Amino acid sequence: MEKRTFGQKMDEFLMKDSTFILLIMGAAAAIFAGTFMYIRFGTGAFNEISIVAMLRDGMDGGDYAAAAGFAAGFLIARVLEGPLVGLLDIGGSLQTGVGIGLPALFLSMGWQLPFSNFFTALITGAVIGLIMGVVIMVIRKVMPEGVAVGGTSVMMGAGNATGRYLAPLIIIAAAQYNVYTGIGAVLGAALFYKWGKEMTGGAILGAMVLGGIFL
Amino acid sequence: MLEIIIYSAIIGVIGGGCIAAGAARMFHAPEVQAMGAFRTLGELNACNGDPIAHFSFGLGFFFSSAASAVAAGALTQDVMHRIIPNWGAAALLVKNKKPEETLHNPRKMMCAGAIVGGVLMIFLNTMARIIPEKLSLIASEVLTPATGWLINPVMPAIFWLAALDAGVQTGMWGSILGGVSALVSGNAVPGVVLGILIGKSAEENGYKSRIVQILIAIVIVMFLVIAYFRGFFSQFGL
Repeated sequence: MEKRTFGQKMDEFLMKDSTFILLIMGAAAAIFAGTFMYIRFGTGAFNEISIVAMLRDGMDGGDYAAAAGFAAGFLIARVLEGPLVGLLDIGGSLQTGVGIGLPALFLSMGWQLPFSNFFTALITGAVIGLIMGVVIMVIRKVMPEGVAVGGTSVMMGAGNATGRYLAPLIIIAAAQYNVYTGIGAVLGAALFYKWGKEMTGGAILGAMVLGGIFL
Repeated sequence: MLEIIIYSAIIGVIGGGCIAAGAARMFHAPEVQAMGAFRTLGELNACNGDPIAHFSFGLGFFFSSAASAVAAGALTQDVMHRIIPNWGAAALLVKNKKPEETLHNPRKMMCAGAIVGGVLMIFLNTMARIIPEKLSLIASEVLTPATGWLINPVMPAIFWLAALDAGVQTGMWGSILGGVSALVSGNAVPGVVLGILIGKSAEENGYKSRIVQILIAIVIVMFLVIAYFRGFFSQFGL
């Protein structure tokens, strides 16, 4: 799509702090439109069955309090936390907050306009994203330089360390589920480890292959 | 049907591109504001730039998401947390093995994420049924407990120990806020993370500095708000 110089400009642009506003607008628009898809076509909400069920309850019974209350808590907390740590949790803020909480709030107020067609949903989502993005950027700018850089390096170190636990956890889960998935995960992980590949992939593939054949 | 395909493609391309770019920015946080999740960061690191690992991790969640899409029309949070970033990374890493030039580059991840997102959304919203039920079941029975344990209690423990090792102030704040967070929100990680931030800031600037006071005030308000919305206070019969 883009050539050399344009590519470099694009790289620079996407690494700018304030570009975050555009990214969150796009993500919020997509997620809000996903909820529109769910309301209109019965598929496409970006969330777990249990959380989508709260919205469903509201649509069926007219009581949106559960969905709105549950999701609003997440939304507010994540928007405050995001700029402090430099990493916005999209699960709580966007997928639950924008995808479930705000639609539930709008519907409980009887405001149907965002759901009247696909493009109003997309635009509503983008506007919500814009507001959240601006709020997050303002919090970031208001925070003087004093917020410790050392703190973030501690957290990033811990974040990186968590990854190492995944492969053993997958093997344990596979072993607990079924003897074939367990054997598959062990073999896959051992082979991948010997080949110098990431064990995580080997454990998942092994469990799926042996489980798929024998279960 | 055509309507669903077109809308799905639009949602997937826009959302997938933005989410993948936000995920790539996680490797440059906190200098730039990123979006994603600490667990996504950890999982991306677990696959360590190996395209096969990224692909199979995404594949497992793809099967369970497809099952959930068929069952209830709910695509699960994993689409954006796991499948799009990992498949985007896998696609880029096949050509260039260096994560610094691929996975960490927001522009490349945006392109890969947009393509993955578009195709994935069309598939999940129209064709999820063709995934054999057995594979979806195995994927969710194996991956759901494993990643569930990772989120709680493995991640809280790792962050907690990191807070304790980083000094008395971070250890103190991390432990208190981590405990409060576990009580109020069900997971200690957000509290420990904020505790590390407050502890380090206090260590460097002292409790007299405005920034530390503002931080503490924001965090207290935040936990009160979460506690209120999640019905924490009603447990005391209030």
